[in-house]
Amino acid sequence: MKYLCLVYVEEKILHAMPQSERIALSDESMAYCDGLQKQGQLIAASPLHPVDTATTVRVRDGKTTTTDGPFAETKEQLGGYLLIDVGDLNDAVRIASKFPAAQYGSIEVRPLKEHGCA
Amino acid sequence: MKFLLIVHHNEEAFENMDKGTQRQLLTESIELTHQLHAAGQYVHASPLQPAATSVLVRVREGKSLVTDGPFIETREQIAGYFLINARNLDEAVGIAGRVPGARIGTVEVRPSIEITGLPNSREAYLVKVEG
Repeated sequence: MKYLCLVYVEEKILHAMPQSERIALSDESMAYCDGLQKQGQLIAASPLHPVDTATTVRVRDGKTTTTDGPFAETKEQLGGYLLIDVGDLNDAVRIASKFPAAQYGSIEVRPLKEHGCA
Repeated sequence: MKFLLIVHHNEEAFENMDKGTQRQLLTESIELTHQLHAAGQYVHASPLQPAATSVLVRVREGKSLVTDGPFIETREQIAGYFLINARNLDEAVGIAGRVPGARIGTVEVRPSIEITGLPNSREAYLVKVEG
């Protein structure tokens, strides 16, 4: 089953880290993703640019309106994601809990709808 | 550049729509993925199970804390996503405007920090995390 893991971390915490710690965290995260990929459990993963780069788009009556900023202002911000393919929710939770950012922030694990929508 | 388009809609309102309309939105979404694929802009896309199925994972002092999600309670919930390739934000916003979910909800467009296979990837990441 496929799961989207949404990684929420307070950007302020990352900004406040010494550079060496950020490099270590980044390296550790990439190594972890490499490992998942080698085991065939990773479909895609990426950090996201800071939340102030977010644009919100709505279409009403055929007209597109865009606003700067994320969908919701939160204490922790969406900082990246992992799209994984694993046996079940327990595997997904285990993988999320070993991702380095889980020690700083929160990871939301959401199953994909793989067999149609409506 | 890769962008993550996060589609939010009100789950209850969606559930209350007639099946025909739901199916139409889904069909249009699938058509959009094919159009994006043909244009080399498609990476991945999927609807997600309802927000009530989400689980939140935190690790503090080596201990795993798992609770029922979602991360934020909002009027509209994350319903799915499109992961796309676009030349720039304008192009990504243009694609977001073609997502059927944008008509009934909200699409958040977030640029990815590209790291895989890029020699200068880590530097780019550090510049961003430094602000």
